[in-house]
Amino acid sequence: MRSLIKHISFIFLFLVPTLGFSQEESVLGYKIDGEYIVFLFDVRDYKTVTSDNSGSINDFDDLNIQEVIVSGQFNNWTRDKWQMNKISENIFELRKKISDFTNEFSWEFKFLINGKYWAEPNDDIANIAPAKTPSGSPLNVYNLKFYTAYQNEDGNACFKLYGHKDAKKVILAGSFNKWDENLFAMNKVENGWEITLQIKPGFYEYRYIVDGKWMEDPFNPNKVKNEFGEYNSVIDISKEVTFELQGFLDAKKVILSGSFNNWSENKFKMKKAENGWILTLKLSGGKHHYKFIVDNDWMVDPKNPVKEYDGEGNINSVCMVK
Amino acid sequence: MPRILFLILLAFFSCASYATEKIKIGAITFPKSERVNDFTTRIPFKLVDHLMVVEAEIHDQKGNFIIDTGSETMILNKVHFKNLYQHQQKEKQSFGVMEAIENPYEKHVKDFVLQNFKLETLKSDVIDLSHIEKSKKIKLLGVIGYSVLKDYEVFVDLHLNQITLSKVDNSGNKLDKNVYLEEIVDSLNFTLRYHTIIISGDINNKKVKFGLDTAAEFNQISKNLNKNILKYFIPKKRLTLIGASNKKTEVIVGKLHRVRLSETIFFGPMDTVLSNFTRVNEAFGTDLDGILGYEFFKHKRTIINYQKEKLYFINYPIGKH
Repeated sequence: MRSLIKHISFIFLFLVPTLGFSQEESVLGYKIDGEYIVFLFDVRDYKTVTSDNSGSINDFDDLNIQEVIVSGQFNNWTRDKWQMNKISENIFELRKKISDFTNEFSWEFKFLINGKYWAEPNDDIANIAPAKTPSGSPLNVYNLKFYTAYQNEDGNACFKLYGHKDAKKVILAGSFNKWDENLFAMNKVENGWEITLQIKPGFYEYRYIVDGKWMEDPFNPNKVKNEFGEYNSVIDISKEVTFELQGFLDAKKVILSGSFNNWSENKFKMKKAENGWILTLKLSGGKHHYKFIVDNDWMVDPKNPVKEYDGEGNINSVCMVK
Repeated sequence: MPRILFLILLAFFSCASYATEKIKIGAITFPKSERVNDFTTRIPFKLVDHLMVVEAEIHDQKGNFIIDTGSETMILNKVHFKNLYQHQQKEKQSFGVMEAIENPYEKHVKDFVLQNFKLETLKSDVIDLSHIEKSKKIKLLGVIGYSVLKDYEVFVDLHLNQITLSKVDNSGNKLDKNVYLEEIVDSLNFTLRYHTIIISGDINNKKVKFGLDTAAEFNQISKNLNKNILKYFIPKKRLTLIGASNKKTEVIVGKLHRVRLSETIFFGPMDTVLSNFTRVNEAFGTDLDGILGYEFFKHKRTIINYQKEKLYFINYPIGKH
């Protein structure tokens, strides 16, 4: 029954036309704060609502907002749970752990006011997706959308495209956001375009879309051929890993040797600490083999149970970065 | 989430319900594979949502294959192999004889010496998988299923994100014993019914038959089970799934509690979808009460030995490495 009501309401929503407002394109409805995704509803960001029952559009200012609910794919478009907390005159907030959303890369959601009005985002918001009925017909309104890779000033991946000063819009799309063509709009800076993201360690492919035209990163020599006979640029996101060998305090020197430094026997000298030897490295995402060389004696990491044979029958310790 | 699940399921259904042409394909190579010894190779996979996907090359095409114990055969995606299909169809008759005289054992041994792991002259179904390709935004060349995996002991490792394939003899003994260095902490018997790995377990002391499927993005349990069992399925949300054919299916997503496979192997609450199993059973060719997929492998680093009909488990390491 509940599903039927939902279905009917979707049909009504179908009649709602889209209204556009000029506004600078930005990401709306959520931010990521450490381990949490924080849903944010700022009353001032919305101009219209759609009635859940009748599908009619109302002016936002006429509403006396009592409660706001985050409703989306992650909670089956709930009408009564996931209630937001009012934190100031105009702002409502709801915090959820990011780890609760790992099932999929992106989710669509919307804000429901007083249990019956859907706040309608404008079409000049970056993170929108056309809303559809359960059977896939377009609704002519938008849902908001969030991703697990996100824009962050202090992020670990800075993308920069020099030049293209006359371009109106430059987008970054890649395997880290399922090649979404809208989400990561780059910012215009003095000598080009720039955006900084926080991404999990690993290798990713990406391209720029300059005013609708796709191109590889001309300043990145690391690229692979794609199915269109052109190139995708490749970025390697690395992560800091600390290697530790407890004890052996009488040793003169301890070397860390592995697949990450071509098994060099002198490059990475470990530092003596209170309880043993320690070294912090930046490693690419994926699997790395390593060993310690304690005064010329090779040994596996005694504290690490994960070990593998190499192709020659030698045994190495294994470190996984992800 | 569930739409994707449904699309994947749909792919299985299509394998089961349409009589597709079997064709022979040339060699597939895995450029990222690592040789462990003459009979063993490791292939890294990446996770696309909950699918394990390996990079491969076939007929000068680079792309991805899904590792899928739930699929009976190897499947090629029609979208990328249109020409191959026509070409092969013409010559199909001549291949029938070849199949009979080939000695697969010798061939595999020979191929294994190569640096890049290579699978040669396999039979494959050609099916349109473009719906998976679109929803996952990857170039999907096909699916590697039971017909390939059965000749090996298969270690599905969601810690190191790789599968290890070790050639076995007819009794399931590895041809080179030096494959794993980590301790095998437990094991579990299964029965093989056609291509399906069936594990007998219980929920609330009631017997339940699970299929083990590396490509099931979500665990599933049949809604027709005894209510004493379903009591331990705690629903969280109801979802409507839409398949490529635009048919609607309603499923309930929740947590399944108290799954026990032996005295020593049990699971905490697992994300599970409650679904109608009539069509699932058609696809797997046997009666099942549930399917264990990604969540199972996330809990257990699992080695599958088809000949011995046994699963072996290795612990996830504790701590930072």
